[in-house]
Amino acid sequence: MNSSTALVRVHELTKTFGATRAVRSVSLSFTEGEIIGLVGENGAGKSTLAKMMAGVYTADSGTIEFNGSEVSFRSPFEALRTGVAMMAQEIMLVPDATVIENVFLGSTPRRGILPNKSKMRSDFKDLLELTKFELDPDAVVSRLRLADQQKVEILRSLSRNAKLIIMDEPSASLTADEVARLHATIRELARRGVTILLISHFLEEVLDLTTTTIVMRDGEVVKVGPTKDETIDSLVAGMVGRSLETRYFDTDSAATHKVRFSVDGLTNSSLHDISFEIHEGEILGLAGLIGAGRTEIARAIFGADALESGTVTLEGEQLTVSSPRDAIKQGIYMIPESRKEEGLILEASISENMMLSTLKRYRKGGSLSARKLDKRAVELAGQVDLRYSKIAQSALSLSGGNQQKILFGRAVEVAPKVLIVDEPTRGVDIAAKRAIHQTLLNLAKSGMSILFISSEIEEVLGVCDRVLVIHQGKVQAQFTAPFDQQQVVAAFFGQTSGVKND
Amino acid sequence: MIEKLRSYGIVGVFGLLFVVLAISSPSFLSWQNAANILDQSSILFIMATVLTLCIIAGIFDLSVAATATASAIMTVNAINAFGMVLGVIVGVGFGGVLGLLNGLGIVGTNVNSFIGTLATSFAFRGLGLILCSGGLVGITNKDTATAMRSAFEGKFLGIKGAIYIALIFSAIVGIFLSRTIWGRNVYAVGGNAQAAFLAGIRTNRILISCYVISGIGAGLAGMIYAGRYGSGATNAYSDTIAFTAIAAPVVGGVSVFGGSGSIWRGILGILTFALIGNGLNLLGVDTTYQLTALGLLIFAAVAADQVFRRSRG
Repeated sequence: MNSSTALVRVHELTKTFGATRAVRSVSLSFTEGEIIGLVGENGAGKSTLAKMMAGVYTADSGTIEFNGSEVSFRSPFEALRTGVAMMAQEIMLVPDATVIENVFLGSTPRRGILPNKSKMRSDFKDLLELTKFELDPDAVVSRLRLADQQKVEILRSLSRNAKLIIMDEPSASLTADEVARLHATIRELARRGVTILLISHFLEEVLDLTTTTIVMRDGEVVKVGPTKDETIDSLVAGMVGRSLETRYFDTDSAATHKVRFSVDGLTNSSLHDISFEIHEGEILGLAGLIGAGRTEIARAIFGADALESGTVTLEGEQLTVSSPRDAIKQGIYMIPESRKEEGLILEASISENMMLSTLKRYRKGGSLSARKLDKRAVELAGQVDLRYSKIAQSALSLSGGNQQKILFGRAVEVAPKVLIVDEPTRGVDIAAKRAIHQTLLNLAKSGMSILFISSEIEEVLGVCDRVLVIHQGKVQAQFTAPFDQQQVVAAFFGQTSGVKND
Repeated sequence: MIEKLRSYGIVGVFGLLFVVLAISSPSFLSWQNAANILDQSSILFIMATVLTLCIIAGIFDLSVAATATASAIMTVNAINAFGMVLGVIVGVGFGGVLGLLNGLGIVGTNVNSFIGTLATSFAFRGLGLILCSGGLVGITNKDTATAMRSAFEGKFLGIKGAIYIALIFSAIVGIFLSRTIWGRNVYAVGGNAQAAFLAGIRTNRILISCYVISGIGAGLAGMIYAGRYGSGATNAYSDTIAFTAIAAPVVGGVSVFGGSGSIWRGILGILTFALIGNGLNLLGVDTTYQLTALGLLIFAAVAADQVFRRSRG
């Protein structure tokens, strides 16, 4: 990081939102072709820092130099014109337009008032050659898989000659093979002199890919150094400010030998002949690639999606479940995949969200007793370690981890016999993640049977008693603790070396 | 801060308007003028109540004016056939049935409510036309017509009967919405229908119930028309009433995105409109300016809602 060759230098950058100092006096510099990892817990200030560099936010104080001259971007468009592109956590493409239209969106080569299509084609071809991507220019973006959509964003950045590309959690929603392709792309871009700033929660990825690692905590940079000197433990220690064990799930299993719940031959458009059982107090994990059919299994059991055939049996009785309402009545509950879209009423209070499924229990005469609701919500909040200031505050005002805990509070309140939990720790910080794991273990200890879906393999292996790997809508393999991570991951890709299929 | 402004800004505007009018026009604060404002607003109170409910549930019902028109005609026909009491019940119930048709059709096919009720508003107007054979129907029994008229137009404690009906209806809907489980479920469905469904709420039933209540409200408006004029006509209520009733809750601070708000906000919206109209009349301002002022006010309310949405990221 010799300052004379620095591509980007930020000096004492500060940004405050209300009472929160999101970024405090951060100074950094990046050189050409460097891959920099930026890690930290949620709320550490990573995205805010990146957004200031990309013109999304304006800094309260401090300066940004790009190629030796001071810049002040008033919009992402200005930043892009100068050579800074940012791939946000949410893909920013026009879904109904084609790949080539998206790549040249806002910078379409013109011929008078018409787009210059032949120049677009030849420029696009040059970009493909540069990146070695394989992309059909005429494919409609909404039909592409996520990894390919990201490629479109990368091409767009390159078409503007971006020198610095900031990627905010680019691999969060990719499958393992897509992640591998993204990594190859990042390395290739760096080789061509593009500087990459990678914000990631996946520490293995950061260790594997980057040359320099920046650790942020509470808005400040606590550590900058060569990645080769870091380990997962040292990064986590920097992030949380104290050394913690990253693998910590050596809890006694609460699983019994009594079968509580079973499904047999579940089949619909995305599932093929899925059968398994869950014991009392057992946590059964569903692992696999994104799109393998795990969420579809959960939704089918919960009555949110229709089944063509198959049976669901709870405590010896075969159930008919045609809606989530039926499922809840019969003792099955699901915490859905997306807390904001499917789980919470964001405008509503913590207590209303927690009691959304059980309002009937709080009827007093013809109307609801708000006092009783709030009292129960406070109890539940304690049980799931929810951090809040007022029980009447809206779900919207809480962090992702605490929003997720509201849903666990609701599950405790409903008290099902079988609880399905789909990706409960996606995008939550490490402390909240631990609290969620603890809640899962506590629920299992109380005798609940839990079906746990997660894309984070360490978490699945750490929390579950048994794991099913789902591959292309089928049960590929079954594993029992203690697990061999490599064997499990191999099953993700349809490889079941020596493992008996159930 | 912005949230507070969005929530209570309109209360301030209303208060300011009230004070300005009270100072600048001596006749504004008279009991007579207040009664006048209320009298002109009874139908709009009912319409704004049901539309506030619909918007909170995340839907629109553009067909209220058409439903009310068809109900007015049906009420007259039913009174002529079955007598006053049963006739009124059938007439109002007819509105509820049209609301049920709206609900079953729109919820069942998952059509956008705005377009769906736009379509049914044509159909319901057409239905009204069929029911009165293309013209005007009148209550044939003179005594019944007089009784109806005195019930809605006659004054009790200085206020017309129709106002009592409107206020009682609004109060009932408001209390149910704020106190009961059904009411909480309406908010949940309007706030996030998917989450509500997965939490075990019968979202379809909740939405259909809102359409039915909307239809019943329109039926009451139809009944009031039949009573006031002793007749039912295809032009009983114009669609402008429906648009005004949609604008009222928005001006009153109900988010057009659904999931929040209260019935009183719809009523406050209507009162604000009435105050602007009445005040400008008393001050001798041209009607043209009234419409412009109204339009700007509605726009400001929607803009404030949008800004609030954006500010919270």
